[in-house]
Amino acid sequence: MKTLSFLLAALLASATLAQDIPYREYEPFERYEPLVSGDLTLSGTYQYWKDPANLDYRLAGNPDENWKLNWKFMDPPFNQAVHGGHFAVDRGERLFKQLDVYGNFASCLSERTGSQQNLRAGYPRWRADLGHVAGLEEVIEHCGAKQGRVLQNGSYDNSAISLYLASLGNGQPINIDVSAGPMKEAYDRGRRLFHTKAGAFNFACASCHTHNIGKRLRGNVITTIYGDAAHYPVYRTQYMLQSLQLRFAECNLDTRTQPLRPGSQPYTDLEVFVTALTNGYPISVPAERDW
Amino acid sequence: MRLLLAGLALLLATPVWCAEIPSDAGVSDGKTMAPQIIVNSGRLEWAPYKRDFTRWLTLSYQDRRATPEPTRFAMKLPLAGDKARGKALAWEWCITCHTLPGDEWPGNVGSPMVHYKQYKHADPLIFQQIFDPRIFNPNTVMPAFGTFGLLAEQDIRDLVAYLQSIE
Ligand code: HEC
Ligand code: HEC
Repeated sequence: MKTLSFLLAALLASATLAQDIPYREYEPFERYEPLVSGDLTLSGTYQYWKDPANLDYRLAGNPDENWKLNWKFMDPPFNQAVHGGHFAVDRGERLFKQLDVYGNFASCLSERTGSQQNLRAGYPRWRADLGHVAGLEEVIEHCGAKQGRVLQNGSYDNSAISLYLASLGNGQPINIDVSAGPMKEAYDRGRRLFHTKAGAFNFACASCHTHNIGKRLRGNVITTIYGDAAHYPVYRTQYMLQSLQLRFAECNLDTRTQPLRPGSQPYTDLEVFVTALTNGYPISVPAERDW
Repeated sequence: MRLLLAGLALLLATPVWCAEIPSDAGVSDGKTMAPQIIVNSGRLEWAPYKRDFTRWLTLSYQDRRATPEPTRFAMKLPLAGDKARGKALAWEWCITCHTLPGDEWPGNVGSPMVHYKQYKHADPLIFQQIFDPRIFNPNTVMPAFGTFGLLAEQDIRDLVAYLQSIE
């Protein structure tokens, strides 16, 4: 009997041990404010790009300084060139109108309020029907599927609809509340993931976007993560249309880390964290990016 | 009988393999895939990536694999490194962060390597920095090239020989 209980105890111990997280390393944590002006203490570049209408184009013309503008010179109204992002907005509008003939696509996306203008600024958010926090692109896939339409998260058509909806909210500040409940939990998980080292090089997102902002990786200069969410999805010549979560996948691949699928919980948690750091910054789409 | 044994071994091996690669990773047939955007399509395609990363930790919550811990490596002298080969390796692995002589796009995440010879560091010390710099600085961003299996012992000896030769 004694041996039996000993065996049982050993089994239980090994079971709980298996629950423990194996050895992990984290970049040193920083204090982040879930508000775009928090960048003042992170990279200090906020002063240069906080006012989209008044960017100093001389900084943009200097490759050693344009990181201070955090790509905002590639956003409207500064960048007035017609590029692939504009075609994507048009395509997104057509697809949206096809799907919304009876108004049920919009009511699905907005959980019945019917408002389309406020969608980009308010996502990711808790979705009771899904039982978790979801990004706008995941919800576009979900609401399309209800009508038998395939709009996979990260696909061109999905991002085009997302970009069209973002364009309706142009000028509106991003505004997600991460102060309590499931949104706070997602934010905290995302912040931890941002600092978790992974992959062949043992890099965390923070290895670059927190601790080496403004430094050069040969031809690439690293920018702050604050303010990014307000211009996604972006047009890229190489990737056509890139959602925020596909940008995570690209950074993962670039740093020899196996990427995850868009819509996966870790990427959505990262999106909540990154979006919260854009709170208060106005949506400006369609934006363009280098290569 | 032999086939049966091989089958059994496979059966036993599969669950381990599945448990390692998380299901939310962009992997198919055990290989790293990259997302491909198809214009005017509602589908996201995935194509095999030029490199495979499935053996290293991902950001998935299902990933139960451990990060390789900081490791010491006592390099035995003499160095016996080939500096020409070391230079080629440095241009492949180190140049993104460190400025090397002759680079027009100098990286500055790491310290500059021009005139490196002047520091007169001991070979085993530089070897350890490349093998696993976490021994000196647990918060370093420099990868642990030896511990993570990216470079072999001779590769690192060649890199040390190259760095020690930079006038
Ligand atoms: C080794 C460095 C490195 C790591 C690690 C890294 N990135 Fe990046 N990232 C870059 C560089 C370089 C760029 C392009 C320049 C820029 O915009 O900062 C970039 C761009 C981005 C952008 C687009 C910014 C814009 O407005 O165009 C986002 C978003 C981003 N990274 C998020 C992440 C996340 C999330 C992670 C972790 C999963 C991560 N990055 C890991 C180097 C890195
Ligand atoms: C992702 C960036 C990165 C890469 C890639 C990288 N390093 Fe480093 N390296 C650093 C940083 C940052 C330091 C500063 C010390 C520290 O944090 O450990 C450093 C320090 C060093 C030092 C000691 C500094 C000194 O002045 O003596 C040596 C030697 C070195 N690196 C060699 C290499 C070699 C060789 C490679 C390629 C095989 C390499 N590094 C790749 C970032 C990097």
